[in-house]
Amino acid sequence: MIEFLGVSKVYPGPVEALRNVTFRIDKGEFVFLVGPSGAGKSTILRLIHREERPSQGMILVNHHPLNKLRRRQVPFLRRQVGMIFQDFRLLPDRTVYDNVAFSLRVQEASPREIRRRVPETLDLVGLGHKAQVFPQHLSGGEQQRVALARALVGRPPILVADEPTGNLDPETAAEVVRILLEVNRRGTTLLMATHAKALVDSVRRRVIALDHGVVVRDDAVGAYDVEA
Amino acid sequence: MRLSTLGFIASEAVQNVRRNPVMAMASITTAAISLLILGVFLLVSVNLNLWTHTVEGQVEVEAFFRPHTPARAEAAAVSAVRRWRGVQAVSFVSRAQVLRSMRREYGSVLTALGNHNPLLDEMNVKVYRPRDVRAAVLRLRRMPAAAHVTYQSRVVERLFQLGSLVRMGGIVFAALLALGALLVIHNAIRVAIFARRREVAIMRLVGATDGLVRGPFLLEGTLLGLAGALVAVIVVGVGYHWAMTVVQRSLPFLPLAPIERVVPDLLEVLGLGVVIGYIGSRLSLRGLMRG
Ligand SMILES: Nc1ncnc2c1ncn2[C@@H]1O[C@H](COP(=O)(O)OP(=O)(O)OP(=O)(O)O)[C@@H](O)[C@H]1O
Ligand SMILES: [Mg+2]
Repeated sequence: MIEFLGVSKVYPGPVEALRNVTFRIDKGEFVFLVGPSGAGKSTILRLIHREERPSQGMILVNHHPLNKLRRRQVPFLRRQVGMIFQDFRLLPDRTVYDNVAFSLRVQEASPREIRRRVPETLDLVGLGHKAQVFPQHLSGGEQQRVALARALVGRPPILVADEPTGNLDPETAAEVVRILLEVNRRGTTLLMATHAKALVDSVRRRVIALDHGVVVRDDAVGAYDVEA
Repeated sequence: MRLSTLGFIASEAVQNVRRNPVMAMASITTAAISLLILGVFLLVSVNLNLWTHTVEGQVEVEAFFRPHTPARAEAAAVSAVRRWRGVQAVSFVSRAQVLRSMRREYGSVLTALGNHNPLLDEMNVKVYRPRDVRAAVLRLRRMPAAAHVTYQSRVVERLFQLGSLVRMGGIVFAALLALGALLVIHNAIRVAIFARRREVAIMRLVGATDGLVRGPFLLEGTLLGLAGALVAVIVVGVGYHWAMTVVQRSLPFLPLAPIERVVPDLLEVLGLGVVIGYIGSRLSLRGLMRG
């Protein structure tokens, strides 16, 4: 599903954000990406979404090498990879329903598809009853679930999350992760960058640990820190 | 592209305008002013052209024969001129005919002349094109039988010059103003892009094509240009109609181009508005599409 082969990324500066990173994530996996601040987690996610291009190495998403991807094809890659962030990035002047529908509209889905899939996806994240509410009237956890619905409504096979629980209290965070696990159980491959030690330790899934742009650990069933 | 996608683009464009009505008004107003001035210049030049052609149609060169030229020589001259290149028609008018028609027109004033006729035989030469006038005049002057030659082409030349001056001046002036309108629309769309940077970022995030990201802005700019042009065309059209009635009342001999004749020019103004809006927004999108 996602494959990095000897990927390096140097930002102008120069800042060496990733150094010779190699890993493979298969279909249906749920993977945590951990590491201290500045380790390069967000850089990896942005590379998958083609917001950045690697300085060296090769990236495959859904078996497509991204270096061969033309500019015109980038939108179609992004429809394959849903993305959520710490800061939700909702449109404040649109209802929950419209925020989620916006995604399908710009993907040029038919009105019938939109009418069917938006409520379905809102139900999946447990927000069916808040469809007509504006984001500022929602709690942080609810806002993140709207963002999640927006990322999922186009049914991408891959979901990438950059510290999705970073702004949430532990209880709400657990609720969001519970939904992510459910999404993964239904077949979506999931890659989540996080600092939430307790969560990673309780869920016990694969963990890829980065430090200063280098993969320092890749445990099939791991914890946040090196286990003693 | 599906109909619902066009609907989406249109509704986003309308939202842009709603969010920033002041900017939209400024764009429409400047576009309207520049196109209005262009429209006025175009209509003035259409009418100057019309007058030029009217006067042109009346252009005849009159050559007067020397007194006592034998009738045979006069007839020979007439048939010679008929064969000249560029000459459409030549008619001979004897001094007796001229006097008769003058008597008819002025009556008793001319009875004082008694049987004396001070007039000259003349021929009226009609040419096809105004630029043939001068050549005909020069050749006629060289004819031994010709006493003197008169023509009205001075007026035609002046009108011609004035017409092209108005057209040129109008085009230059309006082009500058149109450039101004273009820049204002360009700026309005830049502001709109900035105001909608969240939407744009999310569109990109969830996989909107470039065309879809651009669509609402292009449409907005084009609509602003069109709206300005519509205002200009309506004002110019109504103003022209009013001017026509005023002119017809006070200067009935002055021919004015009928409204139907100026419709193509007004449509051009409308089209130009659309082009200004489209290019203005297109320029704003160049930066947006990078990165
Ligand atoms: N656009 C950029 N230009 C220059 N340097 C950058 C850029 N983006 C990231 N970096 C640098 O690259 C390194 C890795 O950044 P990245 O955002 O990937 O880290 P991270 O693991 O996501 O950190 P955090 O946990 O704080 O989010 C950091 O040193 C950062 O300063
Ligand atoms: Mg980060």
